Amino acid sequence: MDFSNSCSSFSSSSVDSTKPSPSESSVNLSLSLTFPSTSPQREARQDWPPIKSRLRDRLRGRRLLCRGDDTSLFVKVYMEGVPIGRKLDLCAFSGYESLLENLSHMFDTSIICGKRDRKHHVLTYEDKDGDWMMVGDIPWDMFLENVRRLKITRPERY
Amino acid sequence: MNYFPDEVIEHVFDFVTSHKDRNAISLVCKSWYKIERYSRQRVFIGNCYATNPERLLRRFPCLKSLTLKGKPHFADFNLVPHEWGGFVQPWIEALARSRVGLEELRLKRMVVTDESLELLSRSFVNFKSLVLVSCEGFTTDGLASIAANCRHLRDLDLQENEIEDHRGQWLSCFPDTCTTLVTLNFACLEGETNLVALERLVARSPNLKSLKLNRAVPLDALARLMACAPQIVDLGVGSYENDPDSESYLKLKAAIKKCTSLRSLSGFLEAAPHCLSAFHPICHNLTSLNLSYAAEIHGSHLIKLIQHCKKLQRLWILDSIGDKGLEVVASTCKELQELRVFPSDLLGGGNTAVTEEGLVAISAGCPKLHSILYFCQQMTNAALVTVAKNCPNFIRFRLCILEPNKPDHVTSQPLDEGFGAIVKACKSLRRLSLSGLLTDQVFLYIGMYANQLEMLSIAFAGDTDKGMLYVLNGCKKMKKLEIRDSPFGDTALLADVSKYETMRSLWMSSCEVTLSGCKRLAEKAPWLNVEIINESDNNRMEQNGHEGRQKVDKLYLYRTVVGTRMDAPPFVWIL
Repeated sequence: MDFSNSCSSFSSSSVDSTKPSPSESSVNLSLSLTFPSTSPQREARQDWPPIKSRLRDRLRGRRLLCRGDDTSLFVKVYMEGVPIGRKLDLCAFSGYESLLENLSHMFDTSIICGKRDRKHHVLTYEDKDGDWMMVGDIPWDMFLENVRRLKITRPERY
Repeated sequence: MNYFPDEVIEHVFDFVTSHKDRNAISLVCKSWYKIERYSRQRVFIGNCYATNPERLLRRFPCLKSLTLKGKPHFADFNLVPHEWGGFVQPWIEALARSRVGLEELRLKRMVVTDESLELLSRSFVNFKSLVLVSCEGFTTDGLASIAANCRHLRDLDLQENEIEDHRGQWLSCFPDTCTTLVTLNFACLEGETNLVALERLVARSPNLKSLKLNRAVPLDALARLMACAPQIVDLGVGSYENDPDSESYLKLKAAIKKCTSLRSLSGFLEAAPHCLSAFHPICHNLTSLNLSYAAEIHGSHLIKLIQHCKKLQRLWILDSIGDKGLEVVASTCKELQELRVFPSDLLGGGNTAVTEEGLVAISAGCPKLHSILYFCQQMTNAALVTVAKNCPNFIRFRLCILEPNKPDHVTSQPLDEGFGAIVKACKSLRRLSLSGLLTDQVFLYIGMYANQLEMLSIAFAGDTDKGMLYVLNGCKKMKKLEIRDSPFGDTALLADVSKYETMRSLWMSSCEVTLSGCKRLAEKAPWLNVEIINESDNNRMEQNGHEGRQKVDKLYLYRTVVGTRMDAPPFVWIL
């Protein structure tokens, strides 16, 4: 994207004396700056907010910007009791079923979600608040927005 | 004073260390100028293009420490193209040729190459300290030369640089005889690290006080490193993830307890939050905590950690801490002097973001607060007025409301009165960054009250040229003015050209200045470099007079004693 062009399209093109007074301009931005705050798929700018590239990259790496074909959401998956984890691209799955199937295959054991069961491993996830939750309660899309990492618990715990 | 021999005066000057004071001394009379220049060991050059290496060496032949800054500040936010300039190579070449006894080099926003580092490492026998901040252009091969050739290296401090990591063995290039390291910071390296070489290096560096690791150093290595460096004062943790029951974690806990000198903690680039409790035993000694990269640590774990840190003077954190978390900071960290709250969600509007309430709580709870950088979702004039009342001692006040042009969210008014209260109350204010909906009025206040202001950052603010004029006319101590996306044009730019001689630099991007305005400025002020940065379409910038009304994308002007620089790339047009 030719960014310097889009930058100049944001700045005002004419400043005249018939501008609305500031108190009217909470919606009508006197600089004719269009900064859509509520659009669902806002593209992140490279120069705003004013943070250094290193932090910007780090934050961006944790989030889905938009659900295109070429996006991915890699999360870590740990099996309780096993120190080395795996990484999984959640965007590769269409929903919980395919996720479970794949995980069961990856860790060579049967994994379920949403049910207490003394025989099976149960899949849990850490959400954005840092809380550990049972996988499967919320719609898949919402899950993708909230999930930070996955943990497969030992059967006896539940 | 002139009745004393020069040696006595020189001895007195030894006690004067600040650059400002030294500069002032040199202006008193010719003999003081002469004595001062031969005795000056530390030189600070805020803009590498304001002078050149030859003049530096002519005036200060005995220099031992040089600080250079290159690109303008807005380069941090991708507003300056990479190839703009700021090359350190000519400086190192000149210093090497002159055989000056360089011991310390500190660079910020400069382009450094492996060739420069190699030359540096071979040219100065007593070279001790290399500090690179936000620099680029070099690889780990350059680091290898420094490691291999600088026999007395004390500090290798790499802060937020873009370094191409060749996954080489730069750490093993430190000879076995190297035992002088005090600072080793390679947190910004992205590649793998030779852990064995690192451990051996740390083990043979009894003076090591500051160690900042990159993400490739896992928890078990951290445990071993801390065990052989219990004298550590400043620690940057790399990758901090593990199953908390494992043996390494227990070893780490034991090692941490022995680090009774630890005062500063940072890093946690990949962190399992529940492991933070390993650091609780030493938290009561911490004066500095930087968790701004610890995006994995949330709410309750952050708060638990901070509750142990009663002596904290400096805290850098993400806004995921929330207003509630900031209230905990306010009630716990009574010694707090500097706070930075960074955004954790670039697309805006998370529940965990901070608002004006967090800021007010901090101002009420932390009486020693003098520096703040605060990214938030919303602000009110009332809150800013309260903050000004609570904290009249601000030296640096930087507020960034994430949505540009956002008014007071309660009254829908501009935030002029709020910022006005800040500049009126904070008589020592040296640095200010504005945001939110702002009219010319806020600049009237700034011009009137901000007498000590040296640096002002403006984005999406103001209505007319009057705004900028208030600042230029009022702020006598202004050094660096940077403006983006604001309606200031030629009238303001040209009103008082001599003002720019008292300033280091002016940046204006996406404003209303035109090409002809800039040309007129360049004509009036030959001692200024007036640079137009135009990356998009070279045809737009015509030499033709008719095209003079074209708006300039990016303008950067700065005073200089050496005229137009010769190393500018094609898209930078120096008028």
